[in-house]
Amino acid sequence: MTAVTLERRLANFRAAVSVGPRIEVEAAERRERSSLAAAERLVATVGGEIVRGRGGAFVRLESSAVALPVDREALARLPFQPTPDRPLLCLDTETTGLATAAGTIAFLVGLGWWEADRFRTVQLLLPDHADEAALLAELASVVPGEGWLVTYNGRGFDWPLLTTRFRMHRHDAPGHAGHLDLLPLVRRIYRHRLPDARLRTVETHLLGVQRHHDVEGWEIPGRYFDVLRGGPAELLVDVLRHNAEDVRSLARLVSLMATGLGDRAAWDRAPAGDLAGLGRAYRVAGRPEMALACLDVALAADGRPAEPTPSAGHVAREEAAWWLGPADLPWGLRPAARPWADRAGDSWTEQRLLVERAHILRRLGRHDEAAESWVAVAAGPGRLAPLGWLEVAKLRERRLGDLPGALAATERARIAVDKRRRLGLPEPRLEAAIDVRLARLRRRLRVA
Amino acid sequence: MRTYAPAPTTEVLRRLLEEPSLARGVVHHEVIPARDADYGEWPDWLDGRILAGLKARGLDRPYVHQAEAVAAVHRGEDVVVVTPTASGKTLCYALPVLQALAEDPAARALFLFPTKALGQDQVAEFSELARASGLEISAATYDGDTPAPIRSAIRKAGQVVVTNPDMLNSAILPHHTKWFQLFEQVRIIVVDELHTYRGVFGSHVANVLRRLLRLCAYYGSRPVIVCCSATIGNPAELAATLTGRSAALIDRNGAPSGERHLLLVDPPVLDAATGARGSALTLAQRWALPFLRAGRQTIVFGRSRVAVEILLTGLREALREDLGPRSRVRGYRGGYLPTERRAIERGLRDGEVLGVVSTNALELGVDIGRLDVAVLAGYPGSITATWQQIGRAGRRTDASVGVVVASAAPVDRYVIHHPEFLLERSPEEARLDPDNLHVLLAHLRAAVFERPFEPGEVFGPGPADELLAFVGEWGHIRQSGDGRWYWSSENFPASEISLRAAAPENVVIIDTTPDRPRVLGEVDLFSAQVLVHQRAIYIHESVQYYVDRLEWGERKAYVHRVDVDHYTYANRAVTLKPLDVFAESPTVTGRRVHGEVMVASLVTLFKKLKFVTDENVGWGPIDLPELELQTTAYWLTAERLRGPWRRDDLDVALLGAGRGIQAVACVLLMADPRDLGLVTQVRSPHQEAPTIYLYEAMPGGVGLSERLFERHAELVTGAAEFIAACPCEAGCPACTGPRLEPHVDAKALALRLLDELGAATHAEGGAVGTALAS
Repeated sequence: MTAVTLERRLANFRAAVSVGPRIEVEAAERRERSSLAAAERLVATVGGEIVRGRGGAFVRLESSAVALPVDREALARLPFQPTPDRPLLCLDTETTGLATAAGTIAFLVGLGWWEADRFRTVQLLLPDHADEAALLAELASVVPGEGWLVTYNGRGFDWPLLTTRFRMHRHDAPGHAGHLDLLPLVRRIYRHRLPDARLRTVETHLLGVQRHHDVEGWEIPGRYFDVLRGGPAELLVDVLRHNAEDVRSLARLVSLMATGLGDRAAWDRAPAGDLAGLGRAYRVAGRPEMALACLDVALAADGRPAEPTPSAGHVAREEAAWWLGPADLPWGLRPAARPWADRAGDSWTEQRLLVERAHILRRLGRHDEAAESWVAVAAGPGRLAPLGWLEVAKLRERRLGDLPGALAATERARIAVDKRRRLGLPEPRLEAAIDVRLARLRRRLRVA
Repeated sequence: MRTYAPAPTTEVLRRLLEEPSLARGVVHHEVIPARDADYGEWPDWLDGRILAGLKARGLDRPYVHQAEAVAAVHRGEDVVVVTPTASGKTLCYALPVLQALAEDPAARALFLFPTKALGQDQVAEFSELARASGLEISAATYDGDTPAPIRSAIRKAGQVVVTNPDMLNSAILPHHTKWFQLFEQVRIIVVDELHTYRGVFGSHVANVLRRLLRLCAYYGSRPVIVCCSATIGNPAELAATLTGRSAALIDRNGAPSGERHLLLVDPPVLDAATGARGSALTLAQRWALPFLRAGRQTIVFGRSRVAVEILLTGLREALREDLGPRSRVRGYRGGYLPTERRAIERGLRDGEVLGVVSTNALELGVDIGRLDVAVLAGYPGSITATWQQIGRAGRRTDASVGVVVASAAPVDRYVIHHPEFLLERSPEEARLDPDNLHVLLAHLRAAVFERPFEPGEVFGPGPADELLAFVGEWGHIRQSGDGRWYWSSENFPASEISLRAAAPENVVIIDTTPDRPRVLGEVDLFSAQVLVHQRAIYIHESVQYYVDRLEWGERKAYVHRVDVDHYTYANRAVTLKPLDVFAESPTVTGRRVHGEVMVASLVTLFKKLKFVTDENVGWGPIDLPELELQTTAYWLTAERLRGPWRRDDLDVALLGAGRGIQAVACVLLMADPRDLGLVTQVRSPHQEAPTIYLYEAMPGGVGLSERLFERHAELVTGAAEFIAACPCEAGCPACTGPRLEPHVDAKALALRLLDELGAATHAEGGAVGTALAS
């Protein structure tokens, strides 16, 4: 096939296809329109200043700093947090799509940092594809090498996307000392009182911020493309506000976590569920003493803010979900959350707190106390009764060398599981595990 | 011949040929003498560890083709290696890759296989060689089954990445920034099973490779491309079209082989008037049984899953009657669990499994060792595939037997009666058209997504500017102030491409058999009309599905698995209008033309036909809107016919000759008869003359018609020969098509017309085979 034939075929093809909404662009006019003109057009509507750099021009918008103090000492006490001397850079991007592949760009990068107690927001807006190098260069100069990024799902989305953008220009993404992604922390600590983990939900439920006339996330790429193709720049006003608000919410959330959970005194005011989640976070971070302390405060709490009472069916599924192990369920992922999984494991009952406590005690080698905690668990209702006794039996058999005690616990487990069978809730696998242990313990006791 | 005493292959064959009822059907028996190995030497630059590894595996010297290929790749030349099944092709690319990695562990290689299973096989083989050489090499498959945590490890550190074109299209290229280590350091790209990249699939893969090479150039690498192909007529040309670069052809096979017998068998005609024939399946069983009874490892190929089941049941029944080795005969096809398949493959290698009945699933490089006998129940559709199937039998030293039993289809019979096609240079060509506009534009979009286009940047045949402007009219890409073209849409264009369908608008086939419905595949609209209309039997990987309903508006077909003894055939009523002429040339009676046409197609009813016998067992209506298809075509006109022709006679003659040409065209260009539509017009409103059109039944075509235009003379002569050679009296479904009126001699009319069209003049030199060989 020659190029000439291809041209002919293109002409025939063009003639034959029914043309949809065709976008007529005068090529000559388009080429004349320099990117500087695009930047000027944006500035005229959305404000800010044009920054001309190597490889293009971009728009820089700075909002006045707001008072938003954060107790860095308190923050540093929380798991996975930066030490107080590290500068923090909050970052949130608006993009042309959800794939972090080569053809998606971040057309707006919202940044925020503290200057003493005041929080300052700066946004970098891309007037045209061709200006990306300049915007990225500015971003690279702003990211402090010794500092930490603060994002919401930035590990999974914003930063990989920006890394791809830098790579497209044959650069490495700017280095930084750490990355505080707030999403997994919010999941661990606050999931029990949130319907989902979207940043906007966090704002309404935790930060007391209500947005008005906010632009929906799915509208944003389309608005940007419209503006690129000559649509009114007003379309971006809402997007800029939305992004600035997101960046500020990152700061608010950091501040909330520091003051709400950062020192022991604050724990007394915190809901038991928050503490339980914090305990889980400490445990994952390899700080079991702190985790234990969290749980003790949570369990000691009387007259705390009431927890939502879960429905019966909910409890069953929730138990099944958390019993599977410490692996986190996918929860509130951006963009598509799995709604059923969102809810699993979001309520902390006293029984669950005791289970968590028992796990930590065992890890700390405090087997006696772990067994006690399991006994307390087994006193409760449901499937946890036989499971609790079984755990007691395991500890007594393996760690405490108390074979008769282990046998007694296993027998209690058997009774509890029989009771559930009579209620029409048989647990075949659990029963099998109990029977194996019963048989072994009886054999060992006879021998001994 | 009820004997179970083990006997040598040649002895069983001798006894079979003494049986008159079997011997009568043999139209050709060729004895290909044994040949010794032709060795070269390992190159002196080869790393000592690799050399030691080779010797440890008993490979003291390479075959000549291996030595030539390895040397060429080392020099940085692209090569295409064409040697038969099991001739040690893997080594041709494995060695240069091992050497590159031994010299520089940062080097990378990319292996492309058309299917997942093949890729996994090759990783195992490659890794074994690497281990034998004591080299620590990370070779891994990257496909849909690769778990997420392993994926990122492969992206960063996989030295040899084995994947398939689909993954390359949708998972690797659009995410190239995460693969930069691969793109910066890729030294060798291997394209195995080259001959499978033809037609629509090949046209897509050619564009995937364009995108791949574009990114390699951006990252500063210039990999050598090693293609490996089964025997086809135009391997070097195919490699050049597919990769856009010319490759050195390496086809001097140095592997040894024992004596081989090739038998071409035609089921006897039962009724000369209707042309009815004996069943290929029954005959294939009769040929296979004595070998099984004598303890010879035998593979029987059926063309469909149903054929496999019929053959398997038949063979097992027969062996049971005789208390023979029934349980050692196994079936093998798509739909079997991987573990089952592995067990059968292992059993074949170590001799535990005596016989296997398979679909073409065992045709490609899956390792099953070498067997004694291969029986093909029906021509597998191409000479390449025939050799790949026959090649499953072939001991290094002992004799082996290949039996091809023709079915009643025209193409089968054409090939059976031309043994020179199989034995001399293969006449068939793999064709693809990387510049099919539908395909090209889809990949151009994906390419813009991957990297902006510079003004004047070349993609495919030339600078892409005009094409980009065209795509830009739909708004997915835009030209920025700097003149570059950028992707400007939320969509992910690579995921919109189906590598197996030409046009972007496809019907998705959804299998509702499992609890969670799954997508089986996609077909373009034009094919959907005849393949997945309501109540059709759709065959996918040799498994039958019944189409419960076709939601035309939603472009979805819902199917479920069935096991029935029939298939469906939809009648397409076609009107055709030429749009443009790309090339034309005078013939004896008129013109031959390559051009573009608009085909309007209406499908109104389907027939249910029995497998094996093609007996009509019912029909049903189809209610679908008319479709227009813009495609390329080849046509010949006959303005200056000599004799007086009655209009009715000419009608019959055009159709008969057209069918002959269609059958020959399918053989020459490795096409499915469904891919080449036939329209004949006694007095074409557009040509003012009797005209035979062959159009490509996919949007835009894939380059078949251009080649048909060039091979016009062979088509006309071949068609005349083919029809003349048919033992029927006056035309039959196997040559000129089903007879519509009993008193008309379609055969004579078609031959008369072909004679006028120039068949006689070209037949002077003898048979087509001779003409092809020259």
